[in-house]
Amino acid sequence: MNRSAGTLFLSLLLLLVPSVSGAVLYIDINAPGGKRMPISLPDFVVTGGDAGLAQQLPGVIGGDLAMTSLFDVIPRQAYLERIVPEHFLARSLSFPDWKMIGAEAVVIGKVDVRGDQMTVEMRLYDATLGNLMAGKKFSGPVRRFRKMAHKFSNEVLYAFTGVRGIFDTEIAFSARPEKGRGKEIYVIGLDGRELRQVTDNRSFNLFPRWSPDAKMLAYTSYRTGMPQIYMHDLAGGTDRLVVRHGNSKSPGSFSPSGDSLYATLSVGGNSDIYRVSLTGSAVRKVVGGYGIEVSPSVSPDGKRVAFVSDRSGSPQIYVMDFGSSDVRRVSRGGSYSTSPSWSPAGDLIAFTALAEGRYAIYTVRPDGSDQRLVISDTGSCVDPSFSPDGRYLVYTLQKSGYSELKIASVDGRWRRGLFRGLQAVGSPSWSPRQ
Amino acid sequence: MKGLIDGKRILGALSVFLLLFAVGCGKKEMVKSTDTAPGMTPPPVEAQEQISSETLPPEGTQTAMAEAEAGVAVTMEKPSEFSDIHFDFDQSFIREEDKPTLREVADFMKANPSASILIEGHCDERGTAEYNIALGERRAESAKSYLVSLGVKPGDLPTVSFGEEKPLDPGHDEAAWAQNRRAHFVRR
Repeated sequence: MNRSAGTLFLSLLLLLVPSVSGAVLYIDINAPGGKRMPISLPDFVVTGGDAGLAQQLPGVIGGDLAMTSLFDVIPRQAYLERIVPEHFLARSLSFPDWKMIGAEAVVIGKVDVRGDQMTVEMRLYDATLGNLMAGKKFSGPVRRFRKMAHKFSNEVLYAFTGVRGIFDTEIAFSARPEKGRGKEIYVIGLDGRELRQVTDNRSFNLFPRWSPDAKMLAYTSYRTGMPQIYMHDLAGGTDRLVVRHGNSKSPGSFSPSGDSLYATLSVGGNSDIYRVSLTGSAVRKVVGGYGIEVSPSVSPDGKRVAFVSDRSGSPQIYVMDFGSSDVRRVSRGGSYSTSPSWSPAGDLIAFTALAEGRYAIYTVRPDGSDQRLVISDTGSCVDPSFSPDGRYLVYTLQKSGYSELKIASVDGRWRRGLFRGLQAVGSPSWSPRQ
Repeated sequence: MKGLIDGKRILGALSVFLLLFAVGCGKKEMVKSTDTAPGMTPPPVEAQEQISSETLPPEGTQTAMAEAEAGVAVTMEKPSEFSDIHFDFDQSFIREEDKPTLREVADFMKANPSASILIEGHCDERGTAEYNIALGERRAESAKSYLVSLGVKPGDLPTVSFGEEKPLDPGHDEAAWAQNRRAHFVRR
């Protein structure tokens, strides 16, 4: 009812303002299959540096926008106007030339390179009205040009939908490097580009988890021969040992404030969930029992925790309320349910479950209602992690020794490969907004 | 939830309306003040003020944490003079046929009071890696408890779990998985 009322309201507005019909630059991000917004991304103006940036920057933005299925990028061969430095001073774009090729919007950019540093100014124009919809200037190392473009893609999406984009987010995961038998931690961009290796110690490095400010990765490393939890500072490249307590250990999730880590620690062979202070040295058990308690995922408000316990005889997903200490089982039916990930809006928990002989991704509400199978394939689909806008999941697809990372919409209908260049890729974790 | 989204839609529609209205008014004034060719929209004079700036920090380099011999060594299978013991899927109880192996380990430990044996717990590749770390831990602990019940001092039996990270058999079938659900005994 509300959706049609909203559309009707918009239509009424259009009737009241007949002179602007056809110029409503508003896309409903929740209505798939609607008309796509035709957008032009002409070559950027580049001074003082690699001329390749002229096409690389708009190329990154075009790739981002295409991923949403909300935009159509008009091929550059059709463009009638060339962007020049004066377009960033007093000269206007020739908007009729852009309208003529069907563009409703135009993104232009100007890059100034000095040594290894660059500044890029990017602008989004409404081609019908000729007005500036968004403009932003970024400075930084030239090698981070893709990040700057991704950030402007966020601005473009926001201008059209009112929804903040996630194009500059990244996914951390573990995989076997080309040499050696261990596993290292890697980070890759959402567009499957800019793969970088974070650890390089040739031991087992597992289970990366992002801090809420996206500056740190907590992970398990066997580099001393025994598993310990470390924090890696992504900007500084340094590591800090944060948990000595217990035997095997894995980081589950940070508290929303980032001052502590909910982790699985094994003491006397029994795995339980602990809250570990990152500012002091306090280690406190929050979920215990005779069975295995593992894989904590804290709710976005920090008041509840989803975790795996085999207290019923098989691993299942439970939710505990920190206030009341009430524990409720939320997964049903399967004989094996693990790896919960709480959605950023707090309304869903995604997890892995074995059903009909196959591992697949399910979602369920935190009260245990509305359990749904959302992603299944001919192999195993495991270890879901929510995108920071709550619209997508990243997960691992495994087929007898082969594995890759994939991204899917939360309903599972839209899917795309993310990475498959290394052996044994797994444990993906989607970064917060950066 | 639904209501919130639709509230945003309406707000969005409203802001589109306001934006169009505002631009519509501004446009007329600008047309008056600048002499542009027909069909050309005048330059957005306020553009520079609307463009905010952001500086990106340099990206981190690789970790400073270098490789350590012990850390590399754990990725290799360590030789053992004892047989591995094996487990059912998602289970950690000691099988009847493995009890002679554990008695052999216990006898060795009692005959060598200064000896120490690291018990490694392992899982097959199925399921999720993090749960398998906990399961491997419990398998190692299950073997340890049995040895302690046979009179071995718990302090001489450290444990470590490798979850599914160190399969003995690299295959992907039940025969390989059965080999990989194991506890492994390493003299130290």
